[in-house]
Amino acid sequence: MEFRVLIRFVLVSFLFIFVTSCTKEVHIDIPGYKDQLVVDGSIETGQPAIVLLSKSHNVYSATNLQAYLDGFVSGATVIISNGTVTDTLTEICSDNLPPGTEEIAAAFFGLPVDVIVNMHLCAYISLNMVGEVGKTYELKVIYNGVEYTSTTEISQPTPLDSLYWKPEGSFVDRGFSWAKLSDPTASGDAYCWQVKMAGMPNFKKTFNPFFNDKFFNGKSFEFAYENPMSFDDPNIDPAYKGYYKLGDTVILKLSKIGKQEYNFFEKKYNQMYSGGNPFATPTNIPTNIKGGALGIWVGYSPWFDTLVCQ
Amino acid sequence: MKLIFSFLLILVSFSTFAQSKVTLSGYITDAKNGEAMSEVKVYIPALKLGALSNSYGFYSLTVVPGKYTVEYRSMTYGSEVREVDLTKSTVLTLELGSKVTDKNEVVVNMKKTENVTSTKMGQIELQMDQIKTLPAFMGEVDVIKTIQLLPGVSSVSEGGQGFYVRGGGPDQNLVLLDEGVVYNAAHLFGFFSVFNADAVKSVNLIKGGMPANFGGRMSSVLEVNMNEGNMKKLKVKGGIGAISSRLTIEGPIKKDKGSFIVSARRTYIDVIMKAAISDTSPFAGSSYFFYDFNAKLNYKLSAKDRVYLSGYYGKDVFNFSDKKGGFGANMPWGNGIAAVRWNHLYSDKLFMNLTTTYSDYMFKFGSQQDEFRFELASGIKDVGGKVDFSYFPNPKHRIKWGADYKYHTFTPTSVSAANDTTVFDTGAAQKLYSHEAALYALDEFDLNDKIRLNVGLRYSAFAHVGPFTRYVKGDGISTQDTTIQYHKGDLIKFYNGLEPRISMRWLLPDNSSIKAGYAYNYQYVHLTSLSAVSLPTDIWFPTTDIAKPEKGWQGSVGYFRNFFNDKFESSVEVYYKGMKNLIEFKEGALPGDNVSDNTDNLLVFGQGWAYGVEFFFKKSVGRFTGWVGYTWAKTERKFPDINQGNVYPAKYDRRHDLSLVGTYKLNERWTFSASFIYATGNTLTLPSSWYVQEQNLLFNYGPRNSTRMAPYHRLDLSATLYSKAYKTKTDPATGKEIEVKKRYRSNWAFSIYNVYNRMNPFFLYVDNDGDFLSGNFKLSVKQVSLFPIIPSATWNFEF
Repeated sequence: MEFRVLIRFVLVSFLFIFVTSCTKEVHIDIPGYKDQLVVDGSIETGQPAIVLLSKSHNVYSATNLQAYLDGFVSGATVIISNGTVTDTLTEICSDNLPPGTEEIAAAFFGLPVDVIVNMHLCAYISLNMVGEVGKTYELKVIYNGVEYTSTTEISQPTPLDSLYWKPEGSFVDRGFSWAKLSDPTASGDAYCWQVKMAGMPNFKKTFNPFFNDKFFNGKSFEFAYENPMSFDDPNIDPAYKGYYKLGDTVILKLSKIGKQEYNFFEKKYNQMYSGGNPFATPTNIPTNIKGGALGIWVGYSPWFDTLVCQ
Repeated sequence: MKLIFSFLLILVSFSTFAQSKVTLSGYITDAKNGEAMSEVKVYIPALKLGALSNSYGFYSLTVVPGKYTVEYRSMTYGSEVREVDLTKSTVLTLELGSKVTDKNEVVVNMKKTENVTSTKMGQIELQMDQIKTLPAFMGEVDVIKTIQLLPGVSSVSEGGQGFYVRGGGPDQNLVLLDEGVVYNAAHLFGFFSVFNADAVKSVNLIKGGMPANFGGRMSSVLEVNMNEGNMKKLKVKGGIGAISSRLTIEGPIKKDKGSFIVSARRTYIDVIMKAAISDTSPFAGSSYFFYDFNAKLNYKLSAKDRVYLSGYYGKDVFNFSDKKGGFGANMPWGNGIAAVRWNHLYSDKLFMNLTTTYSDYMFKFGSQQDEFRFELASGIKDVGGKVDFSYFPNPKHRIKWGADYKYHTFTPTSVSAANDTTVFDTGAAQKLYSHEAALYALDEFDLNDKIRLNVGLRYSAFAHVGPFTRYVKGDGISTQDTTIQYHKGDLIKFYNGLEPRISMRWLLPDNSSIKAGYAYNYQYVHLTSLSAVSLPTDIWFPTTDIAKPEKGWQGSVGYFRNFFNDKFESSVEVYYKGMKNLIEFKEGALPGDNVSDNTDNLLVFGQGWAYGVEFFFKKSVGRFTGWVGYTWAKTERKFPDINQGNVYPAKYDRRHDLSLVGTYKLNERWTFSASFIYATGNTLTLPSSWYVQEQNLLFNYGPRNSTRMAPYHRLDLSATLYSKAYKTKTDPATGKEIEVKKRYRSNWAFSIYNVYNRMNPFFLYVDNDGDFLSGNFKLSVKQVSLFPIIPSATWNFEF
């Protein structure tokens, strides 16, 4: 993760060269497009499995909202199994949501409530099974006669040792929040870090939310994290973006994930942060879905904690 | 090993019939400054026999006794003739050019026919005087940019220093500065070369038919020889350019016995940046500069012994500061090279050069983001020695043999990181140690009047030794991760092999010849890059038990012909190159992946091939000189673990490459030059599709290097205005006005880069703008072009 600092630096260092550079749009042949299914599925301790299916788009295809929405796939058969119980997921569509779930669905699709209730966006949800620690979950998707499979596990969560807040620099009432984590001795532990303010319905990932124990295996260490919600709030002064303020109540979610799943997210964020960088090696994000699909099937094992910034 | 000694014995046995002959030998130096002159042809017309002086100016020609007219032909001064009584072996050390009054006079080609008669293929020597008159990017005269104008040589990208020779990677070029290996020949991320033109004497590129005295790389040898220093008088020269200034001082330590030269160059980009960034700016403290320093000293210990000390030190330093973001970084990188050489004449036929070299390339990166600190370093360090013998038994044989040894210390990655008081476990700094050695012998001999052969054999060996920690990855199920510890001196892996080299010239009528060559090469050090272009962050890595030596062979055939009394030279060469054990990082590998792991665990291996045809037409004499080079080529790669095992074009695969270079000397004061290049666009990998996961737009890339940028073409112009060489003065003896050569000279070099302001592609990327909800989301392919039309002026002086 720290190597992104280097990538960032190399990028910044080239800025001065690009001061005199010129950028223009060109249309150039890019071979290799394939119509592929995209699986975006997860299961979390105590939560049902949710799977979104969509299609990949040609880079030169239309990129309006309709094209994006048309990419979602319905009518597939989605099955999960934990070895003893098998559940065929129910397709629930945004134009026919159970009462009270509109906001959750809106956050899930990343669209406003008033938009999704007028759309036919479908997700596949396990109504007869929730995630359990220690279980392995097999996913099977059958679409257009093609079978796609994957496996993920919900492992033991890693608890946080402690939490605290402290003002940053010259600020008195603004600062980063800090956490102390003791990593288990086995190597390869990987985590996802999410936060939300008390009262908010959904957690939000920090800018660099996935990390593993490559640099701190078996060690205790403290780290700071920013306030990602502040960047969505137009009422917050730009000078205070990223900080928690004195008195905030923050709910933290540290989710353990598997190695393969971490590999997907690591490469995903690397691609997102190096987008357009000519010096980065073009890297396809490695999926754990077998059968020719893109995407991920991930099991989250969360640990929750609450911090009052004081 | 036995083979090479047997081969040597056979070569030496050829010479035994030369007992009743006499030898003309000696050193050739430049009368103006006393520096050794290489590649001077010593020719006896009566016998139609000749020899070339070597890079130290030594020549030896064994003939039957008699009185002869001997011609000494050099590119710089034309022909000088001496009547020599060769009734016995004679040492004739002479200075050429004493009769020439102005070095700026029109070039004459006195090495005529050499293009046709030598066995050299794919070999070009460039004179600095010629390079200095060509258009220069931002006024910086650049030897590497000039060789990129030659057929078979491609540049990496706009303004880039890396070069690809006949389909080989940039690490397959052996770049030597006074026999010391240069591991990174670029400043400023590749826009300028490390070679200060004022300190360079000559440049020699061997892109095919590599003779057996060179090895360790698969594609080419670029020999850059530093000036030796003026043996006659103290001279100062320098220049003030748009981004840097230079100063060189040279002179005798003892006249005609020894000399020195020191040359320094520094950019002032940091000064410009400082002026542009106010002290209150969050970026205050950001800066960049590079400097380099060359020094050389030589001394004639006796008529048979001479020593040379050469040194180079150069560094780039990049500082970045973002006070607002709490981020600061420092990135220095650079080379240090030193060479000590001893020339010794055992006899008038046997010349020896003993060299010890030291090369050090390092790259460091340090950063601090708030309380998080991070440091990374990589590098390579060589200590070595080589000995070369040149034996001239008779005019028909020119024999060389020698040995070469290097001890390499590689630091692929050394990382440390800490957050406040917590120090992260980044593993121990990995160092790799290895021995590389070679023995060689070659003979260039005339089979008959028509056929000349250069036959050589090189035996190379490489040993990867401890201490070393091998990380062995388990599958996590039946096997777990583990390590193997090797102690100091433990032999981890040994490789060796024979590298046959042969080239042949067959003289044809009409001043033409056919040449053919074959060379087999092992390469034991590799440059691994995670980036699509060459960067100082690229890692030099040795052959190990996992990374095998790269192997390459090249076969080439060419037709060479001169026209109009050798005013025009031309050649057509066809080549095929095969390469095995090529190295790339695994798809998806990240820079941090080799922490607590071995870099070679992240590598994949494959093969490649390249073929093409090169046309070269050159005019070397007259007021107008220049060349036209055209290359048609194809370069491909096949790696089982890349691109799903399918063949893909190398990133420097270019179908067409055309260069036109011309220089016109109008008069004593004005010289004009132009260069034009056209090249098929570079390949690259772009996303062919997009998809969404957790509301994030992600890309899926198409086949490796399947997209090709628009063609690259550019015209550069330059004009050089020299100050008057002479001034008039009244002769006190006669009272008449006479012309006296000025001690102080200067010139203005004006250049226009990219005259017609072509926006050439530097790179392409897929840009996503807007968002779905607002309805203004758009994906588009953007082309970034770097340099528009750039005029520049440099003022140069000498006295």
